Amino acid sequence: MKPPVFDYATPASLAEATDLLVRHAGDAKVLSGGQSLVPLLNMRLARPALLVDLARIADLDGVRADADGVAIGAMTRQRTVELSSEVRARHPLLHAGLQLIAHPQNRNQGTVGGSLAHADPAAELPALALALDATFDAVGPGGTRRIAAADFFLTYLTTALEAAEILTAVRFPMLPARTGWSIQEVARRHGDFALAGVVAIVGLAPAGAIASARLVLFGVGATPIRAAAAEALLVGGPADAASFGRAGARAAGDLEEPLTDVHASADYRRDLARVLVGRALAEAATRARGA
Amino acid sequence: MTAPEKRLPGSVAELPNSAPRYVGRPIDRVEDPALLTGRTQFIDDVVLPRMLHCAILRSPHAHARIASIDTREAEKLPGVVAVVTGEDAKRWSNPVMTVPPGWGTHCLATEKARFVGEPVAAVAAASRYVAEDALELIAVEYEPLPAVADARKALELGSPLVFEENGDNVMLRKLFTWGDIDGAFAGAVHVVQREFRWNRLGANPLETFGVVSQWDELAGTLTCRGSFQAQHHFAMARAMVFNLPLNRVRFISHPHGGSFGGKGGARGTDITALLSRKAGGRPVKWIEDRMEYLAGGASQAWDRHYDAALALDAGGKVLGFRVRLLDDLGATAEGWGAVSAAKPLTSFTGCYAIAAAQYDLTIVATNKLPGSPYRGMGPPPHNWVLEQLMDLAARELALDPAEIRRRNFIAPDAFPYTIASGNEYDSGDYAAALDAALAMGDYPALRAEQARLRAEGRYLGIGLVNTIEPGVFDWNAYAIVGQPGTGVPEGATVGIDLFGKLTIKVGFALEGQGQYTVAAQVLADWFTVDIADVRVIALDTLSAPPHFGPGGSRLGVALTGAVLGAAQRLTEKLVAVAAGLFRTPPEHVELRDGRIGVKGRPEASMPFQEVAQTMLARSDLLPPGVDPNPEATYVWTAPGRTPADDQGRAKSYLTAANACHLVLVEIDVETAQVHIKKYWIADDCGTRLNPANVEGQTQGGVAQGVGAALLEEAVYDEDGQLRTSTFMDYLLPTIYEVPMTEKRALCTPSPFTPLGAKGCGEGAMHTTPGAILCAINDALVPLGLELREVPASPQRLWTLLRQAKR
Repeated sequence: MKPPVFDYATPASLAEATDLLVRHAGDAKVLSGGQSLVPLLNMRLARPALLVDLARIADLDGVRADADGVAIGAMTRQRTVELSSEVRARHPLLHAGLQLIAHPQNRNQGTVGGSLAHADPAAELPALALALDATFDAVGPGGTRRIAAADFFLTYLTTALEAAEILTAVRFPMLPARTGWSIQEVARRHGDFALAGVVAIVGLAPAGAIASARLVLFGVGATPIRAAAAEALLVGGPADAASFGRAGARAAGDLEEPLTDVHASADYRRDLARVLVGRALAEAATRARGA
Repeated sequence: MTAPEKRLPGSVAELPNSAPRYVGRPIDRVEDPALLTGRTQFIDDVVLPRMLHCAILRSPHAHARIASIDTREAEKLPGVVAVVTGEDAKRWSNPVMTVPPGWGTHCLATEKARFVGEPVAAVAAASRYVAEDALELIAVEYEPLPAVADARKALELGSPLVFEENGDNVMLRKLFTWGDIDGAFAGAVHVVQREFRWNRLGANPLETFGVVSQWDELAGTLTCRGSFQAQHHFAMARAMVFNLPLNRVRFISHPHGGSFGGKGGARGTDITALLSRKAGGRPVKWIEDRMEYLAGGASQAWDRHYDAALALDAGGKVLGFRVRLLDDLGATAEGWGAVSAAKPLTSFTGCYAIAAAQYDLTIVATNKLPGSPYRGMGPPPHNWVLEQLMDLAARELALDPAEIRRRNFIAPDAFPYTIASGNEYDSGDYAAALDAALAMGDYPALRAEQARLRAEGRYLGIGLVNTIEPGVFDWNAYAIVGQPGTGVPEGATVGIDLFGKLTIKVGFALEGQGQYTVAAQVLADWFTVDIADVRVIALDTLSAPPHFGPGGSRLGVALTGAVLGAAQRLTEKLVAVAAGLFRTPPEHVELRDGRIGVKGRPEASMPFQEVAQTMLARSDLLPPGVDPNPEATYVWTAPGRTPADDQGRAKSYLTAANACHLVLVEIDVETAQVHIKKYWIADDCGTRLNPANVEGQTQGGVAQGVGAALLEEAVYDEDGQLRTSTFMDYLLPTIYEVPMTEKRALCTPSPFTPLGAKGCGEGAMHTTPGAILCAINDALVPLGLELREVPASPQRLWTLLRQAKR
């Protein structure tokens, strides 16, 4: 469990970093928090010739919350966001989701940008980003661009970022008024990657019917998955157990074959998704009534 | 002629101290300041001059012939000093001895590899990084062979053979019958029979194994520093492997971060010894990494298929207990894992008076990692099977689980009690432990709460299990799998220095259980000194008195015996000197409250330290003929042990602690998750030498029991590939999964041990898996389901629950 030989660079600017990535095209890897990359190096499953550590680049670290949302620098430690009183007060869903990521030790080291760029399909942050229509700011040799969450996660551990592009910030919009939220997951142990998880956001009309619904499942496919058909089933209908159950069945039924591994079969994951959608919708609707 | 040895004190009251300050109190551990401030030197902290670092190339195949190995490119890599393969192992060493015999190999695969992770070649280099780089340059040509990874398939005709020369894969097959088992089943009113499956799991100490070996060609010696659980045992095995006289092999055990039977490390020790020899005697260090440990270390045990039955009369009295066990030991018997199939004989029928029993034992080889010992050494699965059958019988007879147990307990006045499988229990009051647990948990209220919540569609389950913890192991318990010997020595040397301070020299390293504290407590109370005046140090295999070290819940008792015996001998020396000084016959002189003096004459006494100082610095005052060395050694071994008969029956483990665990779980039947809501333990291990140590042992055992019941499983696919090769997939319990248990201590002292203490290192591990599974099955009763496989993973539970829906 020792990595093969690699070079290590600590550029002081984004320009310097992208320049390094361009010059070592395909053979360089960005190091942000190291919670996934370092084990992969030690197991010799990843063997980049160069590690580009973003730790010394200024202005990639910070949390800023305003009326529109929460903007987070890519190198901000997950724990910093979790402990931010502004985030806790103004974006309780984001706060709750961060607490489900691994353990405090991992969150002290792991970065928000690192988790999003790594794009593990069972991770919480990608699911939150998709559910909240987050936007991603990236810098590359061709300049800066903004990517919508819906376009960001392509497949397993693969994002829309180009090889020499660096994620610099992510912006999570606030929840709309009169909405409630829930994030629920089942993991083998506290802090493990979810066998299945769901983020639900429910808006209620004044009369109590469902005005809007957003459902994102994670841990059950190659990316976080938006359950659009289940959302459509819900909107306009009553916020009751029967609706939530139908939505769960639809969301689970629409999944392509989820992963089978030593912990859970595809069928079990699918069934968990069904149960969790129902529970998350119920919790979100309860919160919406109090919103 | 020497006078007959005095009996060791059987209770704290017998110590020569009117007011003992330490024994029996939860005092802070003397080990902890160094551990908590990071100053304890573990094996990876050891740096020797010119030391090299080893990395090991391992087989990616479960079963493959090795056609060729080319190490030339690796040898050319700058920094590489030596490379060894099976050819070197054959030239310089022997295959390891095994139990059962004949199922061992060299430390590096020779003609073929038998499991994924088996060492095939190794490199010694300037750093571990370079050594691992060099592994990638070794070219091994494998010819894969069909593998067998399932115990039942290994028994089939035509199965791949792990050792072709042995003709089949059966390592051991024997039927043990104790009492009239056929009569018991023929006369039974109720018979409860089920199959059970316990999947592979094992020890995971915080620190894996590590060693630094140095081969001195000129002196003909091998010196190994390492995290050895039982250094002398290890040294003996290396002497045999390398054809060295035992006094040319020196083992120095370093403090280590736990073992639980999982330290292993024999192959790594032998490989580093070969590398050191090839590298001209330079020391070679190998630190096992976690992936090596999980795939190739002492990390797996108890891969078991059970078919078991209870015969009962109409009143719920158990007449007979039958167990058929198919035990999958993996590729070889090198890891002492077979011992785990033997140990259940020490407590086969648990807390119950069952006159007849039968054990139909088959141990097979498969292409998986060789099985190793693990805390409990076999009874945890056995107890789970027995206790689950007790619950099933209770359901069939419409008895409460507490009641059926109560009807079968060995009576408190029946001790010492010889069980059907031959061991003798020293003492106990099992109903008292049951009553204590039921009272702590308010059992009637728990049942009422269970019924109330069931009406709301919630599934709570209550588990109630009583077990024996055999303590103070003896080799004779393992005779049925080929282990020779009766009696396990543990020695200690106690000395007083010129300035009046005390030293205890022992033959085992710090491992975490707090035994140095126990030794210091006992000696401080013997001589009535402050515990800070006692120092405990570990000696190597060539300087320590005969010893084994920790294992089989023995060391607390054995060490107490050794320290008390040495203290008693030392006191006799002091008395002989003082008798001369006081011009009184020795029988009139005694040690009392730290002073040596004439009995009944308090004015004619002196501090014991002054007597020692006289011995060391005032020869002019010494009576003629006395030994002037204020130091004594005593080697304790359990009294009254008997060799096993042809049915394996022996007086083996000296003590029988007992416990009752009561646990409340809730099953989320939609997600198939189990939540432990509350956990109570009533535990009787006789005199508690240090109650805080005992509580730590209990809580730690619960943690491993929770892991066994719910999480831990080494999964192989049908080709023998390990699918749980990291801690992402092999799941240990964390603090979030382990409940803090509520505990109550009971005390039935052992009549056989010094101070009345019993072995207490494994009891919770013996009990927790059974208790949690009984609780899960109690919750499943209304659904008509039984879960008879461990661990009770959510996948297994979900599959079962889905059957109910259909």
